[in-house]
Amino acid sequence: MIELNVRVEVGEFRLSAELQGNGTICLAGKNGTGKTTLLRAIAGLLPVAEGFVKVGGADVTDSSVEERDVVLVTPSTCFPRLSVDSHIMWGARLKGLRPEKEYLLKVKSELGIDYGGTVGSLSRGMRQRVALATALLSSPRAILVDEAFLGLNDREAFVSTYSKHAKEAGVDVVFSSQDEADGKLADYLFVLNNGLATARQRKTSS
Amino acid sequence: MNWLRLISIASLLLLLVPVFVLLYYGLGPFRDAAGFSTQVFRSIELTLFSSALAVVADFILFTPLAYYLARGNDRITESLVDIPVSVPHPIIGVALLILDSPVTPTGQFLLSLHINFYNTILGLVTALVIMSAPIYVKSMQPYFESKDPSSEEFAMGMGASRLKTLYSIVLPNSYDGLSSASLIAMSRALSEFGSISIIAFYVLQFPFYGVSPASVTIYEFFSGNMSGGLNAAVSASAAMILVAIPITLAGHMIRKRNGR
Repeated sequence: MIELNVRVEVGEFRLSAELQGNGTICLAGKNGTGKTTLLRAIAGLLPVAEGFVKVGGADVTDSSVEERDVVLVTPSTCFPRLSVDSHIMWGARLKGLRPEKEYLLKVKSELGIDYGGTVGSLSRGMRQRVALATALLSSPRAILVDEAFLGLNDREAFVSTYSKHAKEAGVDVVFSSQDEADGKLADYLFVLNNGLATARQRKTSS
Repeated sequence: MNWLRLISIASLLLLLVPVFVLLYYGLGPFRDAAGFSTQVFRSIELTLFSSALAVVADFILFTPLAYYLARGNDRITESLVDIPVSVPHPIIGVALLILDSPVTPTGQFLLSLHINFYNTILGLVTALVIMSAPIYVKSMQPYFESKDPSSEEFAMGMGASRLKTLYSIVLPNSYDGLSSASLIAMSRALSEFGSISIIAFYVLQFPFYGVSPASVTIYEFFSGNMSGGLNAAVSASAAMILVAIPITLAGHMIRKRNGR
């Protein structure tokens, strides 16, 4: 469960947002509406001027980035010198988790990761899959996906599979999109309007 | 006519006049065997050795500081870093001398641990670290700032500390920046005179027993304390320049190649 009611200020930009939901949440809005700002505030990368952020039932408003157990994935996120398997296991190893090998192979297969070598040698879309798999296997409280689903060729199927795995692991996923129609891929759609203040939320039909 | 280019080249030539003069006279009309003697090459060896050690220390001790400055917003710390190079350099030599003097409590403590700066390789390297570290930090900081932080944020989101992120994620992808900053810092260490002429005029330790750093040797020729006089000083300077130029150029070329 992600629950927040915040006001975030970045220079002249002011964002007020209220959100409550679990499972997969789509954060939709045009350029400059504050999607990235909100995701960065949830991740602890931007300070909250007012309000609270709760993730998985815990109030993480004042927690540091490394303490709040919330992973932000962007299109350029990757550790280029690592091999694919080392990359995918990086977060899990850091936390002392030991996912079953069968589970690792299943996740890789279902997310379309069927290549080896170093991550830096992969295409951008492939790197995004690896980064998303890495976040998933580290079993955080929540994964925030800042437009990192956009470059994938089988996007709808990927999001559906990813959401399924995240739910099984008890991980909430919030992804941003410029297209409100992407709400159909999520359990909740949250729309940021016109940059500054208002947000509305509804349970999607899925 | 590109006047900006013309003016820039003219001003650069003005800066390089001393270097050209020393190379021309040192290798030509003023060439003196004493300037290319074993003693001079031993002093260049000592300078290269101690500068290389100083850069290793810069890397180990000051890379975290450069990263902290790049990712934090600590203007006070940033300005404090410049202090050692903004004071007359002999002051650093005097400070190390006082710090390690048997008449001060710090000196008594250090000497009880058998730590002696005066005329030792440790003292020489310590002075070179203090004089080269600000250059190293100021070279690494913009390099770190130029890197996309998203992968670092990703690692921290999975629970990695800033320090863990630096060593596991940032440094393995920073070989070019580290090489460039190290070479630039090393060229700064090679050129140091003021501080080391006080704390380590010569070294009284194996394998450099009785050897002075190159800059001090050149000064000794010039001041007449060593036989050879001005001609030997000019020749030794030319030899030192020939060693230092490739290191400086390599550092800047690596940095240029990476678009900074």
